[in-house]
Amino acid sequence: MIQDLVVYLAYMGYAIGFMLGIATLFTWVERKQSAIMADRIGANRCYIRIPFTNVKLVAWGLFHGIADGAKMLLKENFTPLTYDRFCFNLAPFLAAAPVLLVFSVIPFGGTLTPGQLLPQLHDFFGDRSYAMQVASLDAGILVVLSFSGIGILGTMLAGWSSNNKFSMLGAARAASQMISYEVSMGLALISLVVTYGTLDLNTMVQWQSGLLFGALPAWGIFTQPLAFILFLTAAIAENKRVPFDLPECESELVAGYFTEYSAMKMGLFMLSEFIEIVVVSALLVTMFLGGYNLPYLTDSGFIFPAGATWALPHLAVVLLQVGTFLVKVVLAGCFQILIRWSLPRFRYDQLMNFGWKFLMPLAALNLVVTACVRWWTI
Amino acid sequence: MTGVFISFFALLAVAFAAMVMWLRQPMRAALALVGHMVSLAAIYACLGAHVVAVFQVLIYVGAVMVFMVYTIMLLDDRDASCQQPWSMLAIPAILVAVLVAAALWMLVGKQPAAAPVAGAVAGDIYTFSAFSLAFMKHYWFHFELATVLLLIGVIAAWTAIREGRNG
Repeated sequence: MIQDLVVYLAYMGYAIGFMLGIATLFTWVERKQSAIMADRIGANRCYIRIPFTNVKLVAWGLFHGIADGAKMLLKENFTPLTYDRFCFNLAPFLAAAPVLLVFSVIPFGGTLTPGQLLPQLHDFFGDRSYAMQVASLDAGILVVLSFSGIGILGTMLAGWSSNNKFSMLGAARAASQMISYEVSMGLALISLVVTYGTLDLNTMVQWQSGLLFGALPAWGIFTQPLAFILFLTAAIAENKRVPFDLPECESELVAGYFTEYSAMKMGLFMLSEFIEIVVVSALLVTMFLGGYNLPYLTDSGFIFPAGATWALPHLAVVLLQVGTFLVKVVLAGCFQILIRWSLPRFRYDQLMNFGWKFLMPLAALNLVVTACVRWWTI
Repeated sequence: MTGVFISFFALLAVAFAAMVMWLRQPMRAALALVGHMVSLAAIYACLGAHVVAVFQVLIYVGAVMVFMVYTIMLLDDRDASCQQPWSMLAIPAILVAVLVAAALWMLVGKQPAAAPVAGAVAGDIYTFSAFSLAFMKHYWFHFELATVLLLIGVIAAWTAIREGRNG
């Protein structure tokens, strides 16, 4: 009992640290990557001076994240004349909390047997083993969809309670956009469920640990390439980022639904956007890019197609799996930032037409084809 | 331990339900309803019925309440009717509340309250595969019937909008 508590508390700590850490890293990547793409130097003004010397530690602008956090915490928390102060204060939390909850069902590693990690731990943990996932639920994908649906409430509440026309327009746009693209996203995910035959994210990752045609990893991106593109597009639209950033486009709506927010409340909206990049990347990796699987790596070590094996200790396997997941998530996030700095913004009617008249029929078609193929191959 | 969680969320659900009735501001009443739905989902999850819990959040909070909040957002909530402390609807509400309380009182007399909860807690988790099999074998016709009702609702809404435009 106490052993379970220790392991799950450690998982929760890791999950929160993972999301906040990588989200902060992405704020830096967003600046630096855009700078590289635009042939600029990028963030380089923040530094830490080593005491009693003139040495300035710039570290490629990594300290900008700390400066941002300090600025948001120390700024005046200005509240406008709103007719519902309670809802105004509640909205940032309602927007940020569900995003954090989504990660609870995502597996970030294979099976952990703490007793085999270090000899000293064996007396305490014995032979207990745990799936590396905060909550192992058989409704994994539906939990993801449920919590991401709650986030819309926070966005709408923020725009409505701000008592500002720009905020209100931003909220109306955000809600319409998020509801519209959720349909395509759901249909793309159902195709995936039909392929894998499960709703559980951990079972999906295990399904992807096999090989296609004897050599190619059986990742979702190879078995469901169209669903991958549909999910990625719908997820960027759900996250309200360029080219779908109509709800907060600065040239039309100042900052959209969070125009009236300042200090850390505004920071929560910004942070939730970056955490959402992490969560979307984690979902992409889990469902389409093999999750924590490294090709040919099993729980006992590497088994190559030619028959060669390379046995590894449990600690090395766990570290490899967790590291693989981490690297894949960072790369998928960088790819999303690449899209953000490559494409121009849609017009609002184009955005709605694209969602309802192009993405949704395509997602429905993909589902029908997947169902037919599954019917014939069962 | 599970019993403590169930009691906690049951109290929370009742408190939120009372707030839905009590609060005069539509947006706050809608948020209280969201809280009520989430509390109910938590009770179902504690009882091992993850299927019902997930659908409670996915359908009622993620779909129904989102549309309700969307509608309230577009209304002018400074309408004078929101400022009135009471409306005449309070009378049937009190009447129904008394009737529900009376019905519950009569039930308590007939059946020990602890038995069904303890039985449910001890039961296995109702998995999605079990749910899917039961759904597709026994309840598919009821589900299809409900979709016909939904279709009638869509047609009615469409007709109402057309009438409004013509008028």
